[in-house]
Amino acid sequence: PDQGYPAHGASPMLQGGVGGVTQQLGQMGLGAGQQQPPPGGAPLRLNQLYPTDLQNQPFNVTELDLPPPPIILPPNSSATPSPNANCPPKYVRSTLNAVPTTNSLLKKSRLPFALVIQPYAALHDSEDPVPVASDQVIARCRRCRTYINPFVSFLDHGHRWRCNMCNLTNDVPQSFDWDVAQQKSVDRWQRPELNYSVMEFVAPQEYMVRPPQPLVYYFLFDVSYASIQNGLLATAARCILESLDRIPNADRRTRVGFMCVDSSLHYFSIPPDDVENGETKMLLVSDLDEPFLPTPEDLLVNLSSARQNIERFLSKLQEMFQNSQNASSALGPALRAGHKLISPVGGKMCVLTSTLPNPGHGALTPRENKQVLGTSKEGGLLQTQNSFYKSFAVECSKNQVSVDMFLFSSQYQDVASLSNLPRYTGGQTYFYPAWNAGRAEDAVKFATEFSDYLSAEIALEAVLRVRATTGLRMSAFYGNFFNRSSDLCAFPAFPRDQAYVVEVAIDESLTKQFICLQAGVLHTTCNGERRIRVMTLSLPTTQTLADVYASADQQAIAMYYSHKAVERALGGSLDGARDMLQQKVIELLQTYKKELAGGNMGGGGLQFPSNLRGIPILFLGLIKNLGLRKSAQIPSDLRSAALCLLSTLPLPLLMQYIYPRLYSLHDMPDSAGVPDPQTGEMVMPPAVNLSSERLVPYGLYLIDDGQTQFVWLGRDAVPALVHDVFGVDDKTQVKQGKGSIPDLENEFNERIRAVVEKSRDHRAKGTGSIVVPPLYVIREDGEPSLKLWAQTLLVEDRADQGVGLMQWMGVLREKVVQ
Amino acid sequence: MDYDNLKEQWGEVEDREGVRLSWNTFPSSRMEASRLVVPIGVNITPLKEQPDKPLLQYEPVTCKPPCRAVLNPYAQVDARSRLWICPFCLSRNGLPPHYKDITPDVIPPELHPSNTTIEYKLARPAPSPPIFLFVVDTCQEEDSLKALKDSIIMSLSLLPPYALVGLITYGTMAQVHEIGYTECAKSYVFRGSKEYSPKQVQEMLGLMPQGMRPGMPQQQPGRAPAPTGASARFLLPVQQCEFQLTNALEQLQKDPWPVDNDKRAARCTGTALAVAVGLLESSFQNAGARIMLFTGGPATEGPGMVVGKELKEPIRSHHDIDRDNIKYYKKALKFYEALAKRVSHNGHIVDIFAGCLDQVGLLEMKGLANSTGGHMILTDSFTASMYKQSFARVFDKDDDDNLLMGFNASMEVLTTKELKVTGLIGHAISMNKKSASVGETECGIGNTCSWKMCGIDPGASYGVYFEIAGQGGPNSMQQGAQKGIMQFLTYYQHSSGQFHLRVCTVGRNMSGPSGDPAIAQSFDQEAAAVLMSRIAVFKAEVDDGPDVLRWVDRMLIRLCSRFAEYRKDDPSSFRLEKNFTLYPQFMFHLRRSQFLQVFNNSPDETAFYRHVLNHEDVSNSLIMIQPTLDSYDFEHESSTPVLLDSQSIQPQTILLLDTFFHILIFHGETMAQWRKAGYQDQEGYENFKELLDRPKEDARELIQDRFPLPRFIICDAGGSQARFLLSKLNPSTTHTTGAYGGVNAQTIFTDDVSLQTFMDHLMKLAVSGTG
Ligand SMILES: [Zn+2]
Ligand SMILES: [Zn+2]
Repeated sequence: PDQGYPAHGASPMLQGGVGGVTQQLGQMGLGAGQQQPPPGGAPLRLNQLYPTDLQNQPFNVTELDLPPPPIILPPNSSATPSPNANCPPKYVRSTLNAVPTTNSLLKKSRLPFALVIQPYAALHDSEDPVPVASDQVIARCRRCRTYINPFVSFLDHGHRWRCNMCNLTNDVPQSFDWDVAQQKSVDRWQRPELNYSVMEFVAPQEYMVRPPQPLVYYFLFDVSYASIQNGLLATAARCILESLDRIPNADRRTRVGFMCVDSSLHYFSIPPDDVENGETKMLLVSDLDEPFLPTPEDLLVNLSSARQNIERFLSKLQEMFQNSQNASSALGPALRAGHKLISPVGGKMCVLTSTLPNPGHGALTPRENKQVLGTSKEGGLLQTQNSFYKSFAVECSKNQVSVDMFLFSSQYQDVASLSNLPRYTGGQTYFYPAWNAGRAEDAVKFATEFSDYLSAEIALEAVLRVRATTGLRMSAFYGNFFNRSSDLCAFPAFPRDQAYVVEVAIDESLTKQFICLQAGVLHTTCNGERRIRVMTLSLPTTQTLADVYASADQQAIAMYYSHKAVERALGGSLDGARDMLQQKVIELLQTYKKELAGGNMGGGGLQFPSNLRGIPILFLGLIKNLGLRKSAQIPSDLRSAALCLLSTLPLPLLMQYIYPRLYSLHDMPDSAGVPDPQTGEMVMPPAVNLSSERLVPYGLYLIDDGQTQFVWLGRDAVPALVHDVFGVDDKTQVKQGKGSIPDLENEFNERIRAVVEKSRDHRAKGTGSIVVPPLYVIREDGEPSLKLWAQTLLVEDRADQGVGLMQWMGVLREKVVQ
Repeated sequence: MDYDNLKEQWGEVEDREGVRLSWNTFPSSRMEASRLVVPIGVNITPLKEQPDKPLLQYEPVTCKPPCRAVLNPYAQVDARSRLWICPFCLSRNGLPPHYKDITPDVIPPELHPSNTTIEYKLARPAPSPPIFLFVVDTCQEEDSLKALKDSIIMSLSLLPPYALVGLITYGTMAQVHEIGYTECAKSYVFRGSKEYSPKQVQEMLGLMPQGMRPGMPQQQPGRAPAPTGASARFLLPVQQCEFQLTNALEQLQKDPWPVDNDKRAARCTGTALAVAVGLLESSFQNAGARIMLFTGGPATEGPGMVVGKELKEPIRSHHDIDRDNIKYYKKALKFYEALAKRVSHNGHIVDIFAGCLDQVGLLEMKGLANSTGGHMILTDSFTASMYKQSFARVFDKDDDDNLLMGFNASMEVLTTKELKVTGLIGHAISMNKKSASVGETECGIGNTCSWKMCGIDPGASYGVYFEIAGQGGPNSMQQGAQKGIMQFLTYYQHSSGQFHLRVCTVGRNMSGPSGDPAIAQSFDQEAAAVLMSRIAVFKAEVDDGPDVLRWVDRMLIRLCSRFAEYRKDDPSSFRLEKNFTLYPQFMFHLRRSQFLQVFNNSPDETAFYRHVLNHEDVSNSLIMIQPTLDSYDFEHESSTPVLLDSQSIQPQTILLLDTFFHILIFHGETMAQWRKAGYQDQEGYENFKELLDRPKEDARELIQDRFPLPRFIICDAGGSQARFLLSKLNPSTTHTTGAYGGVNAQTIFTDDVSLQTFMDHLMKLAVSGTG
């Protein structure tokens, strides 16, 4: 990648340290250096356009590891010289790091203007702490309610501040410089809200509709025959039992409850430990018409005060249903009942089921028809078949109830319908097709993920709102939440492993040299504290198309179109989604050619700026992703689950999901698979483009899309390699399919395992996730279906009904060049 | 034979056979019969204990169909030709081979003249062990609930180990406890406010037959089917589930749903009963089963609610019903009646135990107990000993340690052609069986010769009524005095697990030519009073109170006109034979009794009293109609029966009143003063102490066999409790008739007519011939 664009050293936000900040503070003085350059003043030198030829200089996967084009702001645009004044891409990424000043320029660019927002980058605060302003002094603009941030300016000897969004001048609050608790003055320049673009306020009373509610987990276990048979109930119960200490409960207010459902609802009344002779009671309700609670007592219990009884209950749960022969699962009524129970408080409903819901509300039929797969009718299967799942989800959102679905069926389960519940309630759909606890890998995967899920420090009663400089408007929102009003996204529970896309419209011409966007997540922490997480992003404006293109973020753009494509697919048209993607690439290439390359494509090649070189291949990856690709072989549940991922994954994981990582293992450098001596970080071998041309017959490879890992053993692999890695003498003895790399005592084996392990490391990717990808061992000359499956990840290959990269570029060239 | 001897004889027959008839000679003609006024009736106690009689261990010999009468002492047996002639249909039947050795001296027990009532143990086993399903109201204060739980737990030890038991609890919701489930306490919950169809109940309990449940997988290979039937989950042998059930009962707590101070608890008695009925209906049709309801208050929720939750809204009274000021009554009645119909059809019993100071809706629910032969116990609280002892008595056992209760009985009546059965009054339902023995008119539950008693016990008595069909004339086939014969065939499931058949054959002479004085001489006024009381109460259930009183009067006047001696229009000439003299008094007291004068009682109490009356034999019923009063004083060693009259109240006596429902000891004024002064504890007054103790000992004696246990009251002259006594006394000294009142006699403030006034009127009307 010698064609890379300038290194990110130019970015002011990455310069200097805390020491530098304090040094400069004295020189600045109040209000100094805050003047906005006059509109139309000396233009800022933004990122330069570096054209490249897509065919002569093919895209290399390592380009995806580069950061987005730097945000170049005018000097002194922030009130403090803090290096953390602008928002890091980990939290908020704009598709355009130079914003067109007019809507017409934006339109002309054919590029989307959208933000990728990932408020949390880890499952736990300790893994990704942000500064907290805890004195409950929250300065906000009187008019636009923007939170004070590093990009405001101070006037009038620091008594007033000007809002960087709407320009209104506001009074600085009395206690802004005074610590009431300690009775001493505070150096306002040390305040986190002026130094950190990503920080949290502890909110006072007025930010609460009601006192912070405790964390509530209500577990809905399917106990129909399928879930007993595959070991789900036993595994889930054991996993919860072993994870009780991991469930956030710092304030000892966390409550839990359990319901089992087959054709009836089984409630459990679990008394607190201090009740003499207290006995857990199973209360079975078969009247599914209208939900009612069989008792007002102990259906939701305090995790701390009923700990022993909860443990006793969980250890017995499996035995309670071991003889179940019931094939029904009244999930709809169970959900309604659970909702009735927890809605006064709100919280999480965690559903674990292996069965298509049948009796009562929300009943679903096994509608999948193999005949329609791959046809235009396939889209219908991606839509919900029962309106219950949307209307109920909206009802849940209203009452601060979030639903997570853990789905385990070996048969059609209608993920399309069921996934609506998480979609509108800030939840997630976790799909484990044909899961069986009898396979150790399955059991470990689910147990690990579920335990991490339980440990995640979710937030409650959250709303997300994005404010921006006058002239900008949030016009569309993508992700799992309910869009309560025009610009307010509601999350009964805010997850730690999802990202959101917000589209921005330019309603009025922008006159400033830079604009600001501020995302605020008002929430209750799982410790019962009301807080606002504020993320403020500043972006320069430009009047030239070249600047727009030179600063465009290809990964954010791909993510935006991933959401758009999912929207189309859920609207019933997979073809439409693919066509839209293809059209978009062509449009961008044409626009670039016409507007910026002077219509000239010297040498007949395809030209595109270096920072956008990944667009064609990322779009190809999207088109060929499990969720979208044209095929008559993809069960609709798998597709639906993939669509859930495409519309919720944080950006780094999404990129990997649409353009998986391929590592060559047999010839990896000596430095790979061992920790870097300097940083201690595990060194990965260089990633390789996803093409079977890169696979030599004697090689060993890891293909990892973040959801599944494949270890690919070439057909001519030498016995020494096979022996070192798998501990067997002959490659025919290598166990194919779901499994693991055996733990052997040789250096190469250890390094391979280290690489496989590191490839799963979400934290290193700057994102929270519970996913533990299963690993499949594939022999090139072994089981053909496994091999075919792995090959579908080789995006650049031609396969099934999907085009290969060569063909794809050919098509694009054809459309663009002529 | 003089009257006293006759009376003794009838008493013996009652002791031996459990039958007592209003008339012991039957009129030969319909015309004659129509002038009897009091119908021919039998008060029969089919399962009356017969400790000295053999239990026959073989199948009865029966007449050929359709008659099917059982061989009895009234049959003519020709030992030589091995034939017997059925007295009912006159068919000749061969005797089975093993009767070949019959001689006039060696006859099988069923032919012995003393064995007109005899019992067979049949070779037919009961379909299931007896079932006891406890339905427990949890809307109660802790102490009451605790007492109730203890009593039920105690009862488990009284049940045979193989008896099946189950538990339903209710309050705001109804819960069926799956006591067969051992992993944890488990119950099926039904919404209290909803009416569930029988099918829904079964579905929701998972009791649908295999294969009919939607979504059931095929039998999974290699797995034993999970137990699904009611018998494996909800109703288990005591010996198997005693621990589980005891634990479930011990864990029972007051209904957890909050109740506001101005509200009644939400109590879904109707739903709980419907679920109980549905549970048994599915798998145990026609198996002997008792649903034992323990209710601590009125139903306020769901179908069968009898009052709203607002405390300010009172539960209906007789006046409310009279004025049609009833919001829930008709709906509730309809609900419970429909349930009663189902449960009696299924062959199951409903017992109602009420422990509440207020009413619980017994009036609305009465059909459940009345039509199934269940018990009704009305008490103030489950902590009361009246409840505890009565409940324990339900589980009394015979010498062989079998529960004294029968299940699923049917009683069929056969008659010789002169007699036709017109109906039955008692705790039974019609089996709608027509036969040649069925009469044209209807008295009580009629138009059938067979009735079903889901529950029957050795004390259960029934009034069975007859008419005369024949036109008279001797029957050439029979020799000697012509007899009218009835045969009562009672099949029932004995608690030992086998079916039994009790055969009671009653034969009485037919009267001679018209005007035969034997008829009048055969009048048993006590039995007649009881049988007429049953009719009066039966009428009162459907007719207006005043109409029934007028009917009682009319019948009495007519009886007197017919059987008294008098000169027309000369009341002073009015004379009654000895065996008629008490009858007018009985009717006088019946008119004044709680059975017909309902306004002094709550509707629940009325339902309770009437229920008990319809269960008792002649002597107990008489006590209810005309309570007994005994006097104790220093002059007499033992008590003296005294008139049930206000004149019997004297300062220096102690009275013992037995109304069957109440036993009351009343200290006359002086006695009360002495007692208050504590003389009984002082030396030298041992005789006073002894006098005080005597009525108590006698009361204990009376209580011994009484079911339900009576309420026991000790009171003093002038005390508020004394009103119980005063209300029962003949008001010979009311304030309106002050002239009569001796200085020592108690004056009763009532507008009731005295017995004397009543008799005066009666005589006047009887002799006028207008009756
Ligand atoms: Zn503003
Ligand atoms: Zn016969």
